[in-house]
Amino acid sequence: MAVILVLASIAVFYALRIAPGDPSGTQLNAAAREEVRAAYRERLGLNEPIWKQYFVYVGNVLHGDFGTSLITGATMTDLLKVYGKNSLILGVTAFLLTHLLGIPLGIIAAARRNSIVDGVISTFSVLGMGIPNFWLALLLILVFSSKLHWLPSSGCCGVNYLVMPAVVLAAEGTAVTVRMMRSSMLEQLGQDFVRTHRSKGLSEWTVIGRRVSRTALIPIVSLAGLRMGWIIGYALIVETIFRWPGVGYLLVDSVIRRDYPVAQFFSIVLVLVVVVSNLLADLAYGIVDPRIRRH
Amino acid sequence: MTYAEIAAPETSEVGPQASAKPRNRYLDFGRRLVRNPQALIGSVICLTYLVLGIFGPMLASHDYETQNLMATYLRPLSPNHILGTDDLGRDMYARLVTGIRISLLIGFGVTAIAMVVGGFFGILAGYFRGWVDTVISGLVEFTWSFPLILIAVVLAGALGPGLWATVLAIGLINWAGFARVIRGEVLTLREQEYIQAARAIGVSDRRILVRHVLPNIVAPTLVMASYYVALAIIAEAGLSFIGMGAQPPLPSLGVMVAGGRNFLLFDHWISTIPGVAIVLIVLGLNFLGDGLRDLLDPRLRR
Repeated sequence: MAVILVLASIAVFYALRIAPGDPSGTQLNAAAREEVRAAYRERLGLNEPIWKQYFVYVGNVLHGDFGTSLITGATMTDLLKVYGKNSLILGVTAFLLTHLLGIPLGIIAAARRNSIVDGVISTFSVLGMGIPNFWLALLLILVFSSKLHWLPSSGCCGVNYLVMPAVVLAAEGTAVTVRMMRSSMLEQLGQDFVRTHRSKGLSEWTVIGRRVSRTALIPIVSLAGLRMGWIIGYALIVETIFRWPGVGYLLVDSVIRRDYPVAQFFSIVLVLVVVVSNLLADLAYGIVDPRIRRH
Repeated sequence: MTYAEIAAPETSEVGPQASAKPRNRYLDFGRRLVRNPQALIGSVICLTYLVLGIFGPMLASHDYETQNLMATYLRPLSPNHILGTDDLGRDMYARLVTGIRISLLIGFGVTAIAMVVGGFFGILAGYFRGWVDTVISGLVEFTWSFPLILIAVVLAGALGPGLWATVLAIGLINWAGFARVIRGEVLTLREQEYIQAARAIGVSDRRILVRHVLPNIVAPTLVMASYYVALAIIAEAGLSFIGMGAQPPLPSLGVMVAGGRNFLLFDHWISTIPGVAIVLIVLGLNFLGDGLRDLLDPRLRR
């Protein structure tokens, strides 16, 4: 895991710095003279070879110094407190929405297979997979902000600001979860143990709701970690559209403005979150599937 | 359904169960395709897009970037402009078909490369196991821990926003997806009796891989590929939408949706037409993937 983070940090470090254009182009007045620019670059140490800059950076990080934003001068901890919290709220809401909605709907669709309910749920999940999130975002803004004036189209911090970004971020994941849960349930329903449970006289509700759904959950759980990664990736797009001041928005903005320390720090933070959630998914896998624990 | 499109997936499916009469297999596949509505709708949509992407731009009467400020916001079905014009008076039809061409090029192009690269490493890892597997699987896990969009944004920072950053990001991540699944397929394949038997009579690894393993992973790989093309198209459109992908005036579908977002209330088609185009192609590809999965799975063949 540590290896992944180090490799990732090197990759991001190089990627940012080999780019044409540097902070002297975005931070200084466009009319600034070349000497001024050179001095600015010198002060940031940008004239050194990249590998040297990297070691300086790592040295600072090891002393707990992640640098400050070139634009606002804010420290990374301050930024993380504000933007990190917002992203956490959005990400967790979307993640919960995905599973709290997707799993029950998938179960219902499988239990009432080929009924109207199944048809409606399946149609929505197919649509949910097909609609790109930015397009869904535009449609929601059009309907709920521009036409109905129920929800604010962008900005932050309140439940009414959270609704649309969370729904958009959760839409695709929910659709995929519904489909997977449905097919996983159908697969399990054909197994022998289901017949045994039914013949024991357990109610249909117990069979489906307690026994079958638990085994059917396994593939969902194994993908939950990956799902978190997707949510983080798409958060970059969704936060940018809704101007939700989270890490994704900050990252896109800092890459555009070449705010190296911020871009560096937060891309690594996001990678860290993805790695950790994959790890958690592996653990959860063992809890849901008792067969794995024995090995 | 034409033979050409049916033949494409079928030619590759030469497994141990391949029959001696290939003509009948095409017919048989065609019959099953027609009976499977999902696969049918999916292939019709995809074929339509291919035709639009290849021939559409040739039929356009206008250039996709020529502005005409005397004819802005023309509604669809206007004379001269079948899909209307946008806020700068550019022909929507020309822009749409060019956008479709870009989406398809990126979707199919990057996926094809990712499929070959991922397939190569997946087969090596699954077949030879040992340290080869350890190294490749480690690399795959490493790659998977990066969210695609994040890579694309960082690369856009490095290369400057543009299609190249997007293409590179999609390719860099998606090969790992192929490698992962194909490795799993090969892992189970190599334990099959006929492969064990081939090995026992001294057939070389290379020959086993080419003659026995490769044909058997084609079907699951094609199914995966159709989902990955859809993913690539969505990623490109999303990145272009937030300004990290294709740059205006290049009419990528994402750029077009973004360009029309300010006119949604009154002149919605500027944004709606490319938006619906994205939704349809993604649905078509997903249908095709689902349909192919059912059609190519011998267990579901009855």
